[in-house]
Amino acid sequence: MIQEEYRGTRQWSRNSQAIAIVVWISFLSAAIGTMLFFALFDPVELSGMFDDDLEIGREAGYAAGFFFFWLLSGLASAVTAWLVRTAPKRAKKRQG
Amino acid sequence: MKPYPETNKAPGASMYASAEKIYPREMKGRFDKLSKLATIILLGLFYVVPWLTWDERQAVLFDLPARKFYLLGLTLWPQDFPYLAMLLIIAALSLFFFTALLGRVWCGFACPQTVWTEAFIWMEQWTEGTRSQRMKLDKAPWSWNKLRRKGSKQFLWVTFSLWTGFTFVGYFVPVRELGPELLTFSAGGWATFWTLFYGFATYGNAGYMREQVCKYMCPYARFQSAMFDKDTLIISYDEKRGEPRGSRKRGADPDKLELGHCIDCTLCVQVCPTGIDIREGLQYECIACAACIDACDSVMDKMNYPRGLVRYSTEHAMKEGKTRVLRPRVLVYAALLLVLVGGLVTSMAMRTPLILDVIRDRNFLYRELPDGVIENIYTLKVVNQRNEARTFRLTVDGVDGIKLDGVAESITVGGGEVLSLPVRARAPADGAYGIMDISFNVTDVDDPSVTMTEDSRFLGPTP
Repeated sequence: MIQEEYRGTRQWSRNSQAIAIVVWISFLSAAIGTMLFFALFDPVELSGMFDDDLEIGREAGYAAGFFFFWLLSGLASAVTAWLVRTAPKRAKKRQG
Repeated sequence: MKPYPETNKAPGASMYASAEKIYPREMKGRFDKLSKLATIILLGLFYVVPWLTWDERQAVLFDLPARKFYLLGLTLWPQDFPYLAMLLIIAALSLFFFTALLGRVWCGFACPQTVWTEAFIWMEQWTEGTRSQRMKLDKAPWSWNKLRRKGSKQFLWVTFSLWTGFTFVGYFVPVRELGPELLTFSAGGWATFWTLFYGFATYGNAGYMREQVCKYMCPYARFQSAMFDKDTLIISYDEKRGEPRGSRKRGADPDKLELGHCIDCTLCVQVCPTGIDIREGLQYECIACAACIDACDSVMDKMNYPRGLVRYSTEHAMKEGKTRVLRPRVLVYAALLLVLVGGLVTSMAMRTPLILDVIRDRNFLYRELPDGVIENIYTLKVVNQRNEARTFRLTVDGVDGIKLDGVAESITVGGGEVLSLPVRARAPADGAYGIMDISFNVTDVDDPSVTMTEDSRFLGPTP
């Protein structure tokens, strides 16, 4: 039996694609980076190392670390995507 | 593979210029049932698991604030990170293995993107009705009916998203405390933030982005073809049987009309959530949801042709009629998987439930005491990974006559606790010159097989 349905998804413009890819891939790499980094370092001990008066909870530390990694990898991805997309096109081979 | 087929779109429209809506139909059938079942089981697991208890605590809890992971009876510490890394490698390798064998079953049935999209589409159907009803509703001017239908869809979506966010955070902070705290707005700022963050991501991904995520954003979708070979299970159109395609009256004999079994009804294209035409061959947009199989089967039934014009098959089977399941690629993946899983299980079984960390006091090198003794200061961290309290004996050696001062002979550490212990090590000055290697040892008094040795340095005056 065929039942008509409608999913309502739209195809994306090239710019939306680029933004979505940059945001998503940098999110993934930030997640991996955060996991590796905080498996080795405890944010509470880290903040104590630099400044004894700085009272940062673990949850705030994790979040700050995650957003820092996201920003960094997002920046790298965005610049890479932009450079790749705006690169001068290779000249066509001349014939004859 | 053809990169961007022009099907399911207005004629002449280019890929990037405009953003037309895809209007796929939903299809009832065998694979639709299978994917509904997968959705119910997987989502059920996700929402139920945080509420399970084990030994009077949450059975699965990645307690980030306390830096401890609880997995049923197992407690993992940051020092156990290699296990987690290995588990991730095993997961990736399993994905390779199943991709080589079964193609993109992960995409069609198990990926969170697919599973939540499915659930969101159900809610859309309950509130806005079928495809044609929804298209009409979208075009209609705002009315009480439109407001009511759109409003109830949004209400369901938002509630479900928030519940999803809450459940997700419930894997990281105790869920039974988090629930009431969120309801009374007394939860910690970060728990609230992540609930909203994950909820919003669910809403956007499953409500609006859907299969576009697979098409444009998913790295796996792009590289999965590297794991494919001629014996990988794919959804394929039986060209030999189907071509030449063409419409005909029901009951007409295709042989007389010199037509294949494909009646060119384009239902397989209409149901495709990524908008491709499976009859053009395997394309990377195909997420193996098998909606086209259900569609084609229903048509074949109506025409009284055998099912399977579009079916799960392999390139080899299509050409030569048989598939080689055991082939080098599959065997290598399987062997690697076996080795890794075996290694993980063995190393976890042999894990010493005790960790010792030695940190030398950085603030000063050494101290000479009046009676000809050199003193160094350390902080020891003794982690008892067992769930009950244990008593340990603490010793140091490496320098003649070295002894610990200011520590009892045996120390007791509570179950799952970290004892931070400042100790002074003292050695007679006549044997302690320069930099010397020493080692600390803790041993379980009742079970001497549980023992841990950690090296450090002892500093004395330059000779």
